[in-house]
Amino acid sequence: MTASEIIFWFLSVLALFSAIMVLISRNPVHSVLWLIVVFFAISGHYILLNAQFLAIVNLIVYAGAIMVLFLFVIMLMNLNTETEPQRNTWLKVIGVISGGLLLTVMVSAARSAGELSNKTALIGAGDIGLIQNLGKVLFNQYVVPFEITSVLFLSAMVGAVVIGKKD
Amino acid sequence: MHQYLFLIPALPLAGFLLLSLGGRHLSRKIIAWIGVGSVSAAAIFTIILGLQFLQAPPPEGSYTQTLWQWMSTENFSCAINLRVDALSLVFLFIITFVGALIHIYSSAFMRHDRDYARFFASMNLFVCAMLLLVLADNLVLMYLGWEGVGLCSYLLIGFWYETPANCHAANKAFYVTRIGDTAMAIGLFLLFKELGTLNIPEILQQAPQHFTAASPNITLIALLLLAGGMGKSAQLPLQTWLPDAMAGPSPVSALIHAATMVTAGVYLIARMHVVFQLSPVAMDVTAIVGALTLFIAGCSALVQTDIKRILAYSTISQIGYMFLALGVGAWSAAIFHFFTHAFFKALLFLAAGAIIESLHHEHDIFKMGGLRKKMPLVFWTFLAGAAALAALPLISAGFFSKDQILWYAWSAGNGSPMLWFVALAGAFITAFYTTRLMIVVFWGEMKTHIGEYPGRAMTIPLVILAILSVIAGFIEWPHNMVHLTLFSDLVQKVLPATMLQDDLPEEIVFQIIAAATALFGVYTGYVFYQGNKALIEEWKQSSALMQIRNFLFKGWAFDQLYDALFVRPFKFLTRINKSDLFDKLYNGIALVSRRLNQLFSISQNGSLRWYIVGVLIGIIFILTLQLML
Amino acid sequence: MICSIIVRNKGSFRHIAAFGLLILLIANILETYGKDFFHVNTMQLLQFDRFGFLFNSIALGATLIYVLLTGKEIEKSGKYAAEYFTLIFFVLCGIFILSAYDNLLMLFLGIEIMSIPLYILTGSDKRNLKSNEAALKYFLMGAFSTGLMLMGIALMYGGTGTFQLEVQRISVGMYKGVSFLEITGLLFLMVAMAFKVSAAPFHFWTPDVYDGAPAVFTSFMATIVKAAAFVAFIKLCDVRMTATLGAIDWKLLFALIIVFTLLIGNITAVFQQSVKRMLAYSSIAQAGFMLFALFNVNDVAKEGLLLYTAAYSLATIGIFAILVKMKDYTFEGYNGLAKTQPVLAATNTVFLLSLAGIPLTAGFFAKYYMLAAVVKTGSYIWLVVVGVLFAAVSVYYYFRVIQAMYFRNGNAATETITFSFKTGLIILAAIIILIGILPQVLLNWFYF
Repeated sequence: MTASEIIFWFLSVLALFSAIMVLISRNPVHSVLWLIVVFFAISGHYILLNAQFLAIVNLIVYAGAIMVLFLFVIMLMNLNTETEPQRNTWLKVIGVISGGLLLTVMVSAARSAGELSNKTALIGAGDIGLIQNLGKVLFNQYVVPFEITSVLFLSAMVGAVVIGKKD
Repeated sequence: MHQYLFLIPALPLAGFLLLSLGGRHLSRKIIAWIGVGSVSAAAIFTIILGLQFLQAPPPEGSYTQTLWQWMSTENFSCAINLRVDALSLVFLFIITFVGALIHIYSSAFMRHDRDYARFFASMNLFVCAMLLLVLADNLVLMYLGWEGVGLCSYLLIGFWYETPANCHAANKAFYVTRIGDTAMAIGLFLLFKELGTLNIPEILQQAPQHFTAASPNITLIALLLLAGGMGKSAQLPLQTWLPDAMAGPSPVSALIHAATMVTAGVYLIARMHVVFQLSPVAMDVTAIVGALTLFIAGCSALVQTDIKRILAYSTISQIGYMFLALGVGAWSAAIFHFFTHAFFKALLFLAAGAIIESLHHEHDIFKMGGLRKKMPLVFWTFLAGAAALAALPLISAGFFSKDQILWYAWSAGNGSPMLWFVALAGAFITAFYTTRLMIVVFWGEMKTHIGEYPGRAMTIPLVILAILSVIAGFIEWPHNMVHLTLFSDLVQKVLPATMLQDDLPEEIVFQIIAAATALFGVYTGYVFYQGNKALIEEWKQSSALMQIRNFLFKGWAFDQLYDALFVRPFKFLTRINKSDLFDKLYNGIALVSRRLNQLFSISQNGSLRWYIVGVLIGIIFILTLQLML
Repeated sequence: MICSIIVRNKGSFRHIAAFGLLILLIANILETYGKDFFHVNTMQLLQFDRFGFLFNSIALGATLIYVLLTGKEIEKSGKYAAEYFTLIFFVLCGIFILSAYDNLLMLFLGIEIMSIPLYILTGSDKRNLKSNEAALKYFLMGAFSTGLMLMGIALMYGGTGTFQLEVQRISVGMYKGVSFLEITGLLFLMVAMAFKVSAAPFHFWTPDVYDGAPAVFTSFMATIVKAAAFVAFIKLCDVRMTATLGAIDWKLLFALIIVFTLLIGNITAVFQQSVKRMLAYSSIAQAGFMLFALFNVNDVAKEGLLLYTAAYSLATIGIFAILVKMKDYTFEGYNGLAKTQPVLAATNTVFLLSLAGIPLTAGFFAKYYMLAAVVKTGSYIWLVVVGVLFAAVSVYYYFRVIQAMYFRNGNAATETITFSFKTGLIILAAIIILIGILPQVLLNWFYF
């Protein structure tokens, strides 16, 4: 086992474990905190794949901005175990069954497909994920979507203002 | 000029749209101007077009104007094409010209009516539909016009819809013609299946190559088309609707149920003459139907007392003559009879309308009488029309056309002495009941006080039509008298010339017999109703004769027959079948959908979690389906 | 080349908006006939073809009519009239991208630009709890489908190594035929698109959202937006799904979805009490019909889809325009409308007949082309039969409205109807009948 492999397994286990914890922790604040751990683990994966930009953005945007927002909302609404609404047990069962089925289908399909078994991720190779290359691609080939994204943000901003303004 | 062809049907259509949409806000004067003006303008266009056509006939024999592609799919396309050839020109002329006169007449006739605008809107729509029918160059468009005139006929018969009997008459006309229309539609489908086209020139061209003569297919098609024509033209056994259709206003009877729509069947058969020629059986059936109809309807006309019903039966009988002529292969004679008949029958209906209106809506001829002195103008015009109907020799248009048919009934390729004899008997009956009508209405004593005399707008059309009823025959003389055959020269550009049999008696013999029969009919009528009135009274005592009379009065009791044969059994069946299997089936479908609806409504419970679960199940299903397959 | 991305976000009042739409429409039609205004190199991310332009014209025309007819209602529906128009223009911008995308990235962007303003418009009636609920539901479900879509795109990228719609099969190299990742990705993408066009079983959001949103915006969502989603969908099918036909039995899949959609849409619509909710279900049913075009993409299907979108959008806009004016959205609210507002009732009848696909209206030929596209495949004739049967079912609930308007006694209350509104409705009805009588007029345009 090389060092990178060890890190890979460690991060994978961490990501899966924290993801499950997000679901099962009763306290919403704990859920959010576990989610942050998930993001960190995934960022670690990105770094292993030599995609530093993605890793950093992931941390800044998700772990940084969005999670803080989540925390704020949860704290402001004063959610905790006591105020948690009674969930429908049936729904829970159905959710687990359907989610599990989806997983089973996907995994079994992937196994039967065969093409993935002889393909492993190349760790630490390639420089596509570097900021320099990313910038070049973004401002050359993908400049149109990049610019159009601004329209998307603009519309979202207008929408946010409409929603947020007091009547 | 022919690039303005579309205006001819478009003008009445515009009139219809204007009147139906804005009729409520217009004054009566403007309504009359729109209604009359649109048809008159169409008539003027037609006359100009006709003159041009006659002076410089187009090399291909017709004017064609493509308006637009209606629909087009892989193997069927249907364009809205207007096409004028000699045959449609004759119809075009009658429809617009007589139509315009009748419109002028009705502007005065209907002046007191509440629904002035509705009347003219329906009339204009009728003219438009009828024009489409004769201008169409494919059968689909023709069928559109065909159904359009049926609709307008329905609307106008039931024009005074407050009286239930009128609505009943309208319904009856609609149902009965529907039988024919359905047959015709099936015929069109078959034709399309066989030939792959419904374009009329193409059909006429391809049919002789595609079908062997007298093959079952072509016979079936021809008979189905004939059934369509029989429904529209009120021929046996679908004739029962026409006498009842007299419930509509008199101008409607004149335009739709005498001059134009009821002759649509004649037009259809003449148009599809190639199809009919390929099937001797269909030709024979046409001739026999015509002969029987003319005789049966004529007999019924003998005993009617309602002036309009007399005319209605006589219309059926005259169209019977046209069918007879078509059936024996005397194409141009049939169209010629249509041509003259349109004038004199429209005239008779209009004059009858004038009488009825003056006599406070009295229909019974035995309550009229003595009108000769009181309404001289109506009398003289009516006389002209009646003379034409009775086919008085040489001085009436009806003689020239009917004489031709009588002659061909024997001599034409398909003719036979039997047909000739029936037609001759019909001619006698016609002369007889015409005389009866004239004498009872115009001679004798006044029985009803005259209210309002017809105004100028009503009398001018009468005079014009009366003149035409006298002179219209002069454009086509029998071969052996004067060599002047303008009409058949024109029509024979489209329709085949009439084949004659070999070794026939001299034509002049037939003419003399026909003329003598007509005169004899008139004389008999005179004897019975003027000379020796006691005879009738004597006959009325005899119960056997009265039974015959009642039988004829009811139009050979066809209504009762149909009622017993079809209507009652059908009602019986529907009654015992009231809650039948199919009903249960439909209830079952409704029940199933209600249950399903409940099921689906449960799924739509407003909870997002359920929705997501639903989506997930869908995804799993799709993935499993695709990936595991 | 891309004049379509001019976003007129300054449209502060409906007149400006209508004017802007008109300019866009003219520009678009001009460009259809090859007059360029300016040219932007899009690196093959956007591909403007005739089909897209024609659809843009239809979308713009429909929006123009929509704004003209219901502009006042838009202004009334909340405090921020200017913003609403702006959002509508954003949606249009997304629609233009969707009609021209040639790259999955653009597809994603287009869908998002189209959807986000809609979430806001759905919730624009802020004091109405239902509207808020609808907006939130729409947003959450939309986010869910966006997630699916992104996952699909990512998988497809993994499978083919490119975002381009057209894949050079040779460049895949390593694997023979179609990659497993691509198939899975496509399926996910399909699910996301099916969600956007509200095909069953991904339709759950539709009734709640359409019912909850202010009626003016429902009208917009149910027509133009849905049509745009379909255009995006058909492009996807045209290129990607045909290419993978060997690997996936798309026909069977679509057949099942169509049947299920028709079943749910029609059966549920039958017993609704509110006309608005009935229209929501009917829009699901209509989506089922439009899916016929995706079943087998050929020129007939494309032509048919354009005709269908035109017919369906026009009729639905008309119906909603009248619905908005009604005081009561239930069937009872329509009772006796023919007496109080004959023009409204008559035009509404035309629209409903068109939706039901009665001949002599645009809807008939639209449905006809859809079914013809399937008949062309030669197989799956039973699907056509099912389609016809459900079209017959749909007649039932459309006629319920007509029945209420004409044959029930009642006093249907409406807001004041202006003369220009009536004229607009009449013109709209006339267009529908015109297309119904002469479909060739519109179809002669459609030569790709």
